[in-house]
Amino acid sequence: MSADDYAIEWMGPRAVVTLPAEIDVTNADRAREVLLAAASQGPAVLIVDMSQTTFCDSAGVQAIVVAYRQATGTQFRLVATAVARILSLVGIGEIIPIDSSLDAALDATAPGR
Amino acid sequence: MAQVESASIEDRLHQIQTITDAALSQLSDHDMLAELLERARAILDADTAAVLLLDAPSGQLIATAAAGLEEEVRQGVRIPIGQGFAGRIAAERRPVILDHVDHTTVLNPILWAKGIRTLMGVPLIAGGNVIGVLHVGSLTAREFTPEDVRLLQLAADKAATAMQSLLGLEDTIAAVALQRSLLPTALPMTAEADLAARYVPGEGAIGGDWYDVFTLPSGELGVVIGDVTGSGLLAAVIMGRMRSALRAYALTSADPAEVLALLDAKMQFFEPGALATVSYAVFSSSLDSMRICLAGHYPPVIAATGLRANLAEIPPALLIGAAPDAIRRTVTISVSPGTLICFYTDGLVERRDQPIEDRLTLLCQSVTSAPPEVACRMVMKEMVGSDPVRDDIALVALRRKPTDK
Repeated sequence: MSADDYAIEWMGPRAVVTLPAEIDVTNADRAREVLLAAASQGPAVLIVDMSQTTFCDSAGVQAIVVAYRQATGTQFRLVATAVARILSLVGIGEIIPIDSSLDAALDATAPGR
Repeated sequence: MAQVESASIEDRLHQIQTITDAALSQLSDHDMLAELLERARAILDADTAAVLLLDAPSGQLIATAAAGLEEEVRQGVRIPIGQGFAGRIAAERRPVILDHVDHTTVLNPILWAKGIRTLMGVPLIAGGNVIGVLHVGSLTAREFTPEDVRLLQLAADKAATAMQSLLGLEDTIAAVALQRSLLPTALPMTAEADLAARYVPGEGAIGGDWYDVFTLPSGELGVVIGDVTGSGLLAAVIMGRMRSALRAYALTSADPAEVLALLDAKMQFFEPGALATVSYAVFSSSLDSMRICLAGHYPPVIAATGLRANLAEIPPALLIGAAPDAIRRTVTISVSPGTLICFYTDGLVERRDQPIEDRLTLLCQSVTSAPPEVACRMVMKEMVGSDPVRDDIALVALRRKPTDK
């Protein structure tokens, strides 16, 4: 898994981290590191874009939860389609809002809103 | 000292090579370390040799094997990473030579009390991680050459790889034994319920799946299924603690939501960083209803007699260990005679090449209100078949006895 699979894109004060197609024990640590690296740069919102992700097991869930807990003060937002069921099942929606598209996440976090 | 030169480099390299020969890999880790130390001592013509292995949770190196320095192991010497001679090698991940051994350079008094004059040590690195330190010492003043360092590092590299797989194997064996000891050996017999269960360890990594079924003092029946994130011995140990804690809270509260809230608070305080999904259900003694709370866990499948099986409608809630004060709700579901309820872990339904919705649909199609043993067999046949199992699978089927016709 190359680092390119985890692009960090800036939309003004908002950071968008795009996670790869599959997240499991083999790349979850890397995903957590990238999320924490993005959070450490102080974005107003960190959008975790999982719209390309088709598989996310408990290691992937753990990576997101651990990054969220460690990056205190950073507002998180998730974008998920195929893995939305898994994410809501484990209750992540209780702590991080989940959107069904990146546009929806960007609309919801637009500055001035 | 001087006769070190007498053995050719080739001979010494060959001796190193034999450290990992097939015979050695058949030894236990303790025997392998003892053999490694003897060979390192012989090849480098040293007086002492010792291996300290890293205990990652404490960040300390623990003396594990020694030749000519046995007291180091017997006294349980521990060296924090970054401190003293061995601690420096582990922190800097490079060889260190000390030609002046006293209390200013060495933390461990055994070394200088022994009269060691010169020390040479190298890190044990496996899979990119420092797993320990190997060092040799001389009771007489001598100069370890760059060639000596290279040889010792070569020996350490060989040993580290072998050690790593031995330790991994031991962890796996311990995790399997622990897991087995924690799963119920026999499911409780009740007048109203028939029960069956399956546990299949994942290939390669043993996970933290568990299930538990117990009769409460009130006569009610508790059914737990859960999955600790991660794998190996650590996940199995955390699973064991969760199982015990949940049993204890089950005695203090009849409300599954309260039991899981207490468990969550306990885990976040005493096992920070651990995450788990848990389903806890309490069946009334007549078995006509089930009170259930989910913490990030898949809802059970309910198959009533003559009806198509469905996922129980239970609102999702946050998994255990994720955030303080998560909202926990208990849902009460009525259970008619002959109804079978199937609890399971993610390993049963998650497959990377199939959407989860399809898998859950398939599960619902495969669950029937058959006797639980039959139901388990059918579910495992449909959902697993002959596929290799990557993740652990736990499955519990409970059926309220049908009314006599």
